[in-house]
Amino acid sequence: MNKDANFLPESTFKISNEDSICRCIAHEKPKAYSTTLGRVVLDKEEKCLTKRLNTKIVFITQEMQRQRRLRTTTAARIQKGLIRYLYIVIDLSRAAGEMDYKPSRMVVVARQVEAFIREFFDQNPLSQVGLVTLKDGVANSLTSLGGSPESHIKALMGKLTSSGDASLQNGLDLVQSLLNQVPSYGHREVLILYSALSTCDPGEIIETIQKCKASKIRCSVIGLSAELYICKYLCQETGGSYSVALDEFHLKELIFEHAPPPPAIAEFAVANLIKMGFPQRAAEGVISICSCHKEAKVGGGYTCPRCKARVCELPTECQICGLTLVSSPHLARSYHHLFPITPFDDVTPSATNNPNKLPKICFGCQLSLLNPGNMPAPCVSCPKCEQFFCLDCDIYIHESLHNCPGCESFRHSKLVVA
Amino acid sequence: MDESGGSSDIEYTNIDAAADAIDCSTIFHLVTDIVGFILFMHQQIPSLLQDITLEFDGLRSEFKELEIELAESEPKAPLIRRKLAARKREVKLGIRRLEKLMGCISNLKAALQLLVAEVPNIDKISLVLGPSPLRPLHIFELNFSNGRPFLEGFSRSKTTETLSRKAIRMMISKGIGSDSYPGPTKLFLLVKAPSYLNLPLHFLPKREFRPNRKTKPFRLRFRCRTQNPEMNPQHNDFASSVKLQHSPSTDLICNETAFFSLFAAAEFTNVVRVFIELESKEFRKSKRRHLSEKPAPAKSSDGAKMKFQIEDITVYFPYDNIYPEQYSYMLELKRALDAKGHCLLEMPTGTGKTIALLSLITSYVLAKPSNPVKLLYCTRTVHEMEKTLAELRFLHDFQVKELGPSARILALGLSSRKNLCVNPRVVSAENRDSVDAACRKLTASWVRETAIENPNVPKCDFFESYEKAASDAVLPPGVYTLQDLRAFGKQKGWCPYFLARRMVQFANVVVYSYQYLLDPKVAGIISKEMQRETVVVFDEAHNIDNVCIEALSVNVRTQTLDGASRNLSRMSQEIERLDLNLNFLSLFLHKSFGIIPPVRRLKATDAGRLRAEYNRLVDGLAQRGDLPTGNTWLANPALPDDILKEAVPGNIRRAEHFLSVLRRFVQYLKGRMQTENVEKEGPVTFVASINSQVGIDQKMLKFCYDRLHSLMLTLEITDTDEFLHIQTICDLATLVGTYTRGFSIIIEPFDERMPHIPDPVLQLCCHDASLAIKPVFERFQSVVITSGTLSPIDLYPRLLNFNPVVSRSFTISLTRDCICPMVLTRGSDQLPVSTKYDLRSDPGVEKNYGKLLLEMASVVPDGIVCFFVSYSYMDGIVNSWHESGILKEIMKHKLVFIETHDVVETTLALDNYRRACDSGRGAVFFSVARGKVAEGIDFDRHYGRLVIMFGIPFQYTLSRILLARLEYLRETFQIKEGDFLTFDALRQAAQCVGRVIRSKADYGMMIFADKRYSRHDKRSKLPSWILSHLRDAHLNLSTDMAVHIAREFLRKMAQPYDKSGAMGKRTLLSQEDLEKMVNGVEEMVF
Repeated sequence: MNKDANFLPESTFKISNEDSICRCIAHEKPKAYSTTLGRVVLDKEEKCLTKRLNTKIVFITQEMQRQRRLRTTTAARIQKGLIRYLYIVIDLSRAAGEMDYKPSRMVVVARQVEAFIREFFDQNPLSQVGLVTLKDGVANSLTSLGGSPESHIKALMGKLTSSGDASLQNGLDLVQSLLNQVPSYGHREVLILYSALSTCDPGEIIETIQKCKASKIRCSVIGLSAELYICKYLCQETGGSYSVALDEFHLKELIFEHAPPPPAIAEFAVANLIKMGFPQRAAEGVISICSCHKEAKVGGGYTCPRCKARVCELPTECQICGLTLVSSPHLARSYHHLFPITPFDDVTPSATNNPNKLPKICFGCQLSLLNPGNMPAPCVSCPKCEQFFCLDCDIYIHESLHNCPGCESFRHSKLVVA
Repeated sequence: MDESGGSSDIEYTNIDAAADAIDCSTIFHLVTDIVGFILFMHQQIPSLLQDITLEFDGLRSEFKELEIELAESEPKAPLIRRKLAARKREVKLGIRRLEKLMGCISNLKAALQLLVAEVPNIDKISLVLGPSPLRPLHIFELNFSNGRPFLEGFSRSKTTETLSRKAIRMMISKGIGSDSYPGPTKLFLLVKAPSYLNLPLHFLPKREFRPNRKTKPFRLRFRCRTQNPEMNPQHNDFASSVKLQHSPSTDLICNETAFFSLFAAAEFTNVVRVFIELESKEFRKSKRRHLSEKPAPAKSSDGAKMKFQIEDITVYFPYDNIYPEQYSYMLELKRALDAKGHCLLEMPTGTGKTIALLSLITSYVLAKPSNPVKLLYCTRTVHEMEKTLAELRFLHDFQVKELGPSARILALGLSSRKNLCVNPRVVSAENRDSVDAACRKLTASWVRETAIENPNVPKCDFFESYEKAASDAVLPPGVYTLQDLRAFGKQKGWCPYFLARRMVQFANVVVYSYQYLLDPKVAGIISKEMQRETVVVFDEAHNIDNVCIEALSVNVRTQTLDGASRNLSRMSQEIERLDLNLNFLSLFLHKSFGIIPPVRRLKATDAGRLRAEYNRLVDGLAQRGDLPTGNTWLANPALPDDILKEAVPGNIRRAEHFLSVLRRFVQYLKGRMQTENVEKEGPVTFVASINSQVGIDQKMLKFCYDRLHSLMLTLEITDTDEFLHIQTICDLATLVGTYTRGFSIIIEPFDERMPHIPDPVLQLCCHDASLAIKPVFERFQSVVITSGTLSPIDLYPRLLNFNPVVSRSFTISLTRDCICPMVLTRGSDQLPVSTKYDLRSDPGVEKNYGKLLLEMASVVPDGIVCFFVSYSYMDGIVNSWHESGILKEIMKHKLVFIETHDVVETTLALDNYRRACDSGRGAVFFSVARGKVAEGIDFDRHYGRLVIMFGIPFQYTLSRILLARLEYLRETFQIKEGDFLTFDALRQAAQCVGRVIRSKADYGMMIFADKRYSRHDKRSKLPSWILSHLRDAHLNLSTDMAVHIAREFLRKMAQPYDKSGAMGKRTLLSQEDLEKMVNGVEEMVF
């Protein structure tokens, strides 16, 4: 009870705390960039041509990323599901052994899934992932729902062989039975990476899809070769997205589209309070029996605030009392999905014609915004605080930092003035 | 044929069983005995079945003994060993000889045993001997009286023994023939029984078995002691039919699977095939309706619809957006209407032809109400009719909303009684002709007259109340589909068929089938009184020349002639009956029916009626107008202009004389058909030879049909479906008498593919498509011929002999390249592939085709449709794929379904094909160009992602009819044979591949797998919308290249796309776009 009362103040505090950490990082990251730039300058005499090419490529890719982000973040404030239970279903049927992706479809898929799992936990620290494979007409649960990226990746990499037919129905049935056990506030999702072009099912798959729909599981499919009607139908019925990858790069893009939380389904849109514990880290050197691995461990670990059991990592659910255990940075990191930063405006060269208003340095990294030769480089400005940023900082702020340094410092200075 | 066996006719040959009931084992043994007997008697097996079984067993045991002996005789003298080995070889040969036969028979026995045990109640078992169950040589029917408890075991009891002996003795005494036939003959065993749901899966449903009437079945009935002896066959039939209605029953085929039975039939000659047939109607009804994606642009039920100007016409278009090609289509159409001329428009499927047409023409009528006044829209199928009417309703609602009630029109669909009748007793008849006859039995004027006096005579309540309402019976304005008409009729109690037929005169839009305009027999009744200011539209008209030709062609077989003689004898009986004097008739009626007919009625019935008819004919008033209205169901098969307006010649005015003329004519035809060689002659020589041999001159022939019509009305014949044969004969006579050019008569004594089976056919074939359509062009001011494939567009005016004011071909405007045609010329081993005659049976080509399909099956999702050039080629190639294991490989990726001659089987296959595509299993459908599937079934969206056309579907070039037609075309229209053949083949190919694209949102690939497609003269005849997407790089592909292209294409198409085409090409125009375009650039560039 006491802990619940603490819930709100503690989290807000932590957020502001996090901000300062982020600010620190903000000043580290551009440095890395500047060193590479420096190296380019060093090699200038020798590889003039390559450099120009490089910068151009860098610029183009930056621009592309920006465009894409602008497109996705236009809708300002949508309620989103932050606590997600996601099953990744990987098709390891005969078709997964095909070589049209090099070296083979399943290797590529595994590689992308690995990257995705890391990115996923980065963006959704409160969520959990499980892995299911389809092989020889049956579905196997590779890992159960859990919050640790490493265990999933390890399990996946050990099982890379392909054979037999794929059965979408078996996969869905398994996932559905597994997801029915998760608490009702969580968002149930399935991401299917489907190599095969048919599904060999034991029964009527339409019924299974209806069952999934009834238990509000959002199913998304990424196909590797061509559009399959049943997958399209499945996604349409359950509100997921269906896409087909053109190549490895595109596949990565498509998978990563599933990392940010999807908009909440209307039924879940009612706000409800969730009991959460914020366990303390146990003192170093203490020996205790870990409740998750059932063995004695030294040091590290966290103590559940309700039953005082020891857990190894966060976030998780307490094995003993069933309380959701998170740390406040987890909450904070999930928070930005709800309040995204407004996209920055392009600064057109005409507006920068006025030499007085011409921005000299980027407010983020404090580096010059002028190209060599005093030509103004492309830059952006925050519509709120009207500070200028370089494109690198723009991407960094929107994709990693989720806070505008200009607005934050302005608020602080205002506070100070007041 | 089987006169001696069939002499007992409808009568049953009864056999009384000594037992109380006939149980399963009895049936089983009886049937096997009779099968053995029949097989032996018809020399299908070398000796009696029992002997064969014994011999086979003996041989086998001897073989075993020999084997053992041989093994033991190791140390013995080599001489003995050699002797033994020789004997063993001999025995083995004997076993092999009998093995196949015994295998078949034991299969049959096993299947029968299973069925007898599974099915509770067997009504009838028919044994059909002949090349196919539809064209049997002999039929034997075994009826079993009901009530048999199921007993375990199949032991042979003594009662069974006596019963089967009795049956066989009976059959011998009835003279069941012991003749033999050359060529393949099969025995089909069909079982009729009510089905129930948990039948094992290997019994596949089969439709009701109905052989042609030529062969009279030999009926054998087994009665048991307890049965009521007074039950007559009619009663029995009735009882069983009632029972069948209660329990939905299914026809079953029993065999390994339906799919492989096909090969079995092709392989053996003396195969005993087992068809176990139960019967069903329920099955067809439960056919899943597939709702296809609407082809027209994005529809939203509300919001702004379009209204725009095309020159001086305001066009109301019920959608928010319009395709540019629809706009230019309307523009051309409008110009054709302005010019009051005919036009020929080709626009690919999936671009909304129908709505563009309807929308423009109705808007035109609204703007210029006096001219044209009516739209006749001809479709090929009932399904298309319903779709068109649904579109029209959508449009009409919009127009009424825009313009208020003044825009109201009356639009309706007209179809046969089968589709419109609401009388439950009539509509339950199985085919179209019997529905028509059943209707006539209730509504003919003389029947109704009788009914007034005798309330027991059944009549149709719907028709009666329709007649009572008389001129009050009208349809309020609106759009009526067939469904709506039926509902309206039911609600008002009026007969929808007659109501629709009358309202056709007043309706603004009529949607009906081609035949109503093109077939002179039907057109004479239905489309007689249409105004000249009418727009006629033939939709999907790429086969219109064939429809025209069929409308004027007649086929006569031996059974037609037999039927005709039967009809003639019945008619002469009727005449004799009428000739009886008045008193006798009255007495007769009184005695037999207990009716005392009033004098007025009798006067009409007696010979006076014939006399009256004679007088009428003398006066030259034999034309239809003079006969009582409402009974007009026969019209002249010749075209209206060619019918002479004069009196019937004197020598056929008397009914007796006319009948004898017909009898002589039939006799003459019979004589002609006994020829050994193929004969071909023109109508003039044919008529001359008739005149010289049986003394019937041309004028008499010409009047045959009218005279028959008049006679049948006079004789008050209602069961017209029985009289189809004589009608066919008169058809032939009239056509031969009327036309001297453009026809030829071909008599073939046998089918060329099966030269051993005598099956004489006399064909009167029309070669000139322009004959049938000429009156349509002349009568109506604008005729629009439109289809997705009319290329090359300049050939149609020559074939149909008319001058279009507009003939245009439009291409499809696409936001993305959603069709991917490819020409595949080589297999993966770089050898050319083709179905050319010298290459088609080459195993290398067959293998390459198989590989192509296999590779494609592994990269294409969902459905693949394959078209072959003919059934026989498909059978052959599928057989060889099966042997080489390719089929099995394909089955790993997708299920395989196949089109057969049988409609029900094909429907079943299609249904399952769709299910396999829906559930993601994926499927391949093997079909035949020019088949039912190629013509009418859509494979849109995932039902057909790829269509492969194996070979070029040329017609069978050795067919006499085709040769005759080609000759005629060359002489009359200067169309070269090669040109016509290529045109016809490529239009079929385009039709086949066009099945996959039904809308712009759809995508699909087309593979033309034949090296000849890469030649310019073939390729250039494909429609322009395919050609414009056929890139040069795709003209000469091998299998592996095609697979690569397919992969890339499918990936590209799977990406989400913008329907309106915001980037680059605009393909959806909103109202503003359109106005801008019209104001800016007057001429559109297409």
